[in-house]
Amino acid sequence: MKMRSFLPAVAEQLFRDIQKAYQETSQIPDDLLIALKFVFGPCALQALDLVDQHSVTCLSSPSGRKAFQVIGGSGRLYTCFVSCHYCPCPAFAYTVLRRNEGPLCKHILAVYLCQAMAVTQQESVSDPQMSALLSGTAPL
Amino acid sequence: MADILTSVFRTFMSQTDVNKDVTVVPHSACSALLPGDSSVIRSVLLPGDSSVSSSVLLLGDSSISRSLLLLSAVMAASELGVRVVFFTQTQIQSLPVCLQKCVPSPESLKKIKFSYPRTLGDLLQQVAGLHESQNTSPTPPSLIIVDRLEGFLGGNHSENQSSAAHLSALLCDTSSFLTHILKQRSPSSAPCRLIASFRSDVDSEHAGGESSATDPILDVLDRYFQMRCTLDRDRSYEAAAAGLKELWNVYLSATGITEDACTKEREDRPAAAPKEWQLSISPDGSMEFKMA
Repeated sequence: MKMRSFLPAVAEQLFRDIQKAYQETSQIPDDLLIALKFVFGPCALQALDLVDQHSVTCLSSPSGRKAFQVIGGSGRLYTCFVSCHYCPCPAFAYTVLRRNEGPLCKHILAVYLCQAMAVTQQESVSDPQMSALLSGTAPL
Repeated sequence: MADILTSVFRTFMSQTDVNKDVTVVPHSACSALLPGDSSVIRSVLLPGDSSVSSSVLLLGDSSISRSLLLLSAVMAASELGVRVVFFTQTQIQSLPVCLQKCVPSPESLKKIKFSYPRTLGDLLQQVAGLHESQNTSPTPPSLIIVDRLEGFLGGNHSENQSSAAHLSALLCDTSSFLTHILKQRSPSSAPCRLIASFRSDVDSEHAGGESSATDPILDVLDRYFQMRCTLDRDRSYEAAAAGLKELWNVYLSATGITEDACTKEREDRPAAAPKEWQLSISPDGSMEFKMA
């Protein structure tokens, strides 16, 4: 993913380590889990839950446009962009934008983790459906 | 990997350095109508052949911002020959004075598509649809302009922060996608650029004040736009001595999360120092730029 440059170097390195470890052992070792919790706080465990539940889907349309869709704990769908951080969830609005307490919410973290572990679901949508999802006008 | 910010500034600096020393040969009649360092606008608002997409947030007086946006659109269409989409809530009644003297060719103006979304929802839908084939064939737009973001985003309340983030993220993601498409079709093509203007409520309340950093909407916009171009009325003695001419200082500076996130490029920081120009506007509305 291209949004790496929006993360601190320590987080980028952590995702690379997780990717390597998961490729080799299909597991995330304890030391990396602890590091994940240290860097991202309580968000880390919630994001790992979302990964376990296969909640992250990469949507593609015929134009080549892509976006991520994450199923939240309540079943609501959140559309996230591939090249920059944005999530329509309340935690992103409050914790990230208003209080500036971290770079991302659990949904975006789940996207990074799924990408690192190569467990993102894939789905095709039409171009107009993609436009509706990106603009937030798609029925949820 | 060099971070985006540094690459943009390197490109931008080399251009201005060249412009300082070499007499600018106008590429078209339109550049001839911007006397002085006529390519400043291109350097400021259309940072050149960088391999990454670039986004600029234009801050300050909305009528001057709009003139600069229109000049950028016309320069991109006529000199670079690229397609431009221009989103604004208010109809374009007239071109800036410096363009009225030399009306750009109808062919080049055809490359600019003006869209008039009325609400934030309309704007989001129109920007989100830019990837669809009717907007990308025969060629996708290489410049996306949004006039007066504040008109779409409402007041500077924290409730509007999420809308500002959604719109900014969608604009950045769209320009990143269009850059990818442009490169796919022609590897040497320049990235799709993004310019949006914004006038902060907080700014106008403290006219001539120092910082507008307390505007919650501007805080959000700064996360997504790579550069800020600030217009600031010059009220110094020199400005008073200029008589009827209005003098404006134009500052270009880096913004965004990339600034503190990418610490590994620290040695390149001097390149990211703010740059400054002076813009003088004659009573007839014509504009002239020079390096400050």
